[in-house]
Amino acid sequence: MTEYIRPLEQLSRNDEPNFGGKSANLGELLAADIPVPPGFAISTEAFRAFIHDAGLEKRIGSALSGVSAGDVDAIGRASRAISEAMRFAPIPAAVREQIGDYYGELGEDSPPVAVRSSAVGEDSQDATFAGQQETYLWVRGTEHVCDAIRDCWVSLYSPPAISYRARLRDREAQPAMGVTVQIMVDAEVSGVMFTCNPVSGDPSMVAINSSWGLGLAVVGGEVTPDDFLVSKVTREIVREHIHPKQVQYVPDPAGMGAIRVSIDGDRREARSLEPADLERLVDVARRIERYFGCHQDIEWALPRGETERVLVVQTRPVTAVPNKTEKPKPASAMSLIMSTFGAGPPKD
Amino acid sequence: MATTAPRAGAFPSPYEIETPPGCEGWEEMYPYYALFDERRREIDENRFWFWNSMHFPMPMPAFDVICIDSPYQAVGAWQNRVFAVPPAMGIDYRCVNGYIYISGNPVTDPAKIAERAEFFQQRAGYYFGNWTELYGKWRAKMEALIGELGELQVPDLPEYEPDEVAFGEDRNTAFYEVLDAYPRALRLGDLMWQHHFEFLLLGYGAYGTFVEFCKSQLPDIPDQHIAQMVAGIDVLLFRPDAELRRLARLAIATGVDEAFQQGRTPHEIDAELQNSDAGKSWLDELEKVKDPWFNMATGDGLYHYYRSWLDDPSIPYASLIGHISALNAGEQIDRPTEEIQRERDRLATEYGALLDAESRKSFDDLLNLSRTVFPYVEEHKFFCDYWFLTRWWNKIREFGALLARSGFLEDAEDVFQLSRYEVASALDELVLTWATGGLPLGPKHWPPIVARRKEILKKLGDWTPPPAIGVTPEAVTDPMTIMLWGVTTERVQEWARQQDGGSVLNGAAASPGVIEGVARVVRSVDQIGDVRDGEILVCGSTSPAWAPIFSKIKATVTDVGGVMSHAAIVAREYGLPAVVGTGRATAAIHTGQTIRVDGTEGTVTLL
Repeated sequence: MTEYIRPLEQLSRNDEPNFGGKSANLGELLAADIPVPPGFAISTEAFRAFIHDAGLEKRIGSALSGVSAGDVDAIGRASRAISEAMRFAPIPAAVREQIGDYYGELGEDSPPVAVRSSAVGEDSQDATFAGQQETYLWVRGTEHVCDAIRDCWVSLYSPPAISYRARLRDREAQPAMGVTVQIMVDAEVSGVMFTCNPVSGDPSMVAINSSWGLGLAVVGGEVTPDDFLVSKVTREIVREHIHPKQVQYVPDPAGMGAIRVSIDGDRREARSLEPADLERLVDVARRIERYFGCHQDIEWALPRGETERVLVVQTRPVTAVPNKTEKPKPASAMSLIMSTFGAGPPKD
Repeated sequence: MATTAPRAGAFPSPYEIETPPGCEGWEEMYPYYALFDERRREIDENRFWFWNSMHFPMPMPAFDVICIDSPYQAVGAWQNRVFAVPPAMGIDYRCVNGYIYISGNPVTDPAKIAERAEFFQQRAGYYFGNWTELYGKWRAKMEALIGELGELQVPDLPEYEPDEVAFGEDRNTAFYEVLDAYPRALRLGDLMWQHHFEFLLLGYGAYGTFVEFCKSQLPDIPDQHIAQMVAGIDVLLFRPDAELRRLARLAIATGVDEAFQQGRTPHEIDAELQNSDAGKSWLDELEKVKDPWFNMATGDGLYHYYRSWLDDPSIPYASLIGHISALNAGEQIDRPTEEIQRERDRLATEYGALLDAESRKSFDDLLNLSRTVFPYVEEHKFFCDYWFLTRWWNKIREFGALLARSGFLEDAEDVFQLSRYEVASALDELVLTWATGGLPLGPKHWPPIVARRKEILKKLGDWTPPPAIGVTPEAVTDPMTIMLWGVTTERVQEWARQQDGGSVLNGAAASPGVIEGVARVVRSVDQIGDVRDGEILVCGSTSPAWAPIFSKIKATVTDVGGVMSHAAIVAREYGLPAVVGTGRATAAIHTGQTIRVDGTEGTVTLL
């Protein structure tokens, strides 16, 4: 039987080809006892069934023929044509039914979930670049969850995604995508952290960006977040910049989706993380880094009213660490000292 | 301020700096060779000079100039003539409005550098290889020198020479003794400076290499952590306070602690202690500690006005009062050496574990060598800058007192307003008129000079020296300038920018690299079609929809966003310099303008 859906806690990194990197990593986090909101993953099989049952392969192929990476206009036209066709195609009944079942198990009364794309294969490594990180927040009800899942699939053919694949000369290959559906917390503070300083490459630091409300504002670059650099070795805050935070996203009081509201008064200038919060975040960052064995880029949230809980909503390998060639080549201590005095082997 | 306008992108010419009002004639306090002289203008004006505010933050009193000459003689002798540091000879200094500017003399001929490298590798290698033994000998040498300084007598000028001079053998008259003692005092100072610099370059070089290595591997590591990994546990410099803590405990144990009341002077405390046997024996114990541990300076510097604890015991007595009241309140005052040791080892282990195997080996070796050289780096200050120097200034004060007793100076302290040559001259006249019984001119000559100089120094103290003068160097390459003063190319460029003013935007350093180019200001996504190849994107922020243009541009600047914003991440993927969160880039920059984006420092310069 074709497997369309699996709960996050039953996923491991081996499931990445079928469920995408995001879902697989969340499964790994759960295995490592990192607190992650519960949820389930949609497989690439579900995406393929959707494309196949609606007979979309041909339309996609013809829309993309002859499109080149730099041609912004042509890419836009192709994207519009494919998206329209996909939006009017139905999700196969078997998939839809399973989505309803798993969603129902997440809680009563249509619990709010985040629906995110979970890219596979090569895309997974470079997904940050390609912008194929579609996210729908505070989605409620099976119908809306299904719509959001389809919208994620549609994002595979967004202009940047098409442009990105064209750049890789990979437009022949049929792309596929998993989707992650996860219970959503109403975050009081949220943000991103790296288990190294992504700018300098310093592996002894955890770099943390944070702002008020849901994570969208930080990830989308809509605010200049508070910026912290914390030593893994001593837990001290090595650098911090508290910035004015103009806007935040909060759940729409109407019940669905997130809205952007402005932040007023003292809260705008106030620091969004206290030293104790930073310590907890650093602890989580180190556990995740140790578990994965490489530097991680982690999205996290502190739930409203219980900010002492750190919830991790996503982790992935750090995609670009600064050029290591700037570092001096390892050499004997004495030759390094000699070169301090200009008496060593020539610096190159 | 009394500086002339700087030349574009450069620092003021040393020849165009004005004398602050009322300070006319300041040059007379300093040696002819210390001035920016017209006869070497062509060379001096085209050099880069920076203010040595680290060692000489205040305008120099005339006598204290000896603490410029001797150190630069000594450091140059070791650096240039003994170790032959390949690319750097010694350091020239000049005085402007009483402030000291310095400039290294580079070696530029590659053949000469190679020749010097052979000397350096052999000689420095010998020192590093035998460090602990050589440093042991050095300490013995310094203690002997300090002993010699103590034995140097500054003779008085008696009405009649004593009988020994008349009847004894090998006795000198006081005129000779004075004229002999003064240059001997100066020479002992020179000798101290010679010792001071014997190990300094190599010690700092080893430590500096470790610091640089740490920063290259761990760019954000706090300096404090590097120092903690290297710093000694049982260090001489901590002994004085350790002795005070011991004396505080002794005062409590023998019941004399009540004498140490907040607000009492050392003199009042001593007077009360004299009233009891227990108090007297505490004072005896204090006497044993004073030499050498009270040879600490009250300030950290090369000026005559930094005295020792022996001269001014208010600092150690204040510490005693603090320790005693802390102990009586049940607090722990001991330096937690075991904890410090544990933390030092923990930091070294944890930082080392973050490095790959090859780097780890260099890290461990450099750390071990740094720990070997560090006792000198820490202790030479106690021996030279504190112990010797405070006593040496006092020896000069004795000559001042001699001059003051005959009216040449109003106060012994005024001796420091005369240059060392002028003191020699005043002593000459003093012993001459003592011998002849004639009328000295000194009492009419020197006091007005002293008064005028005190006035000038006071006014010069209100003047703010520019951080650098002369030409802006393309790059700072002198290893000593970088190592000892931290004056790097970046620092100098920052100074130069500050002189320019206003045309620099600061943001977060989001993706490293420096690039210059033409700006393209894009305010919304529908304008991205306008971006041409090789332009620098200046925008409010970017989103994934902007992806197609990152293969065209060569840097990016945004108004908002942090180092993990989309623009920053994509810029790092593409290896493009990026500065994000500048706040006002789209307002301050217009399309077509040439700008420089420094994604390493987080600055955008409008050119």
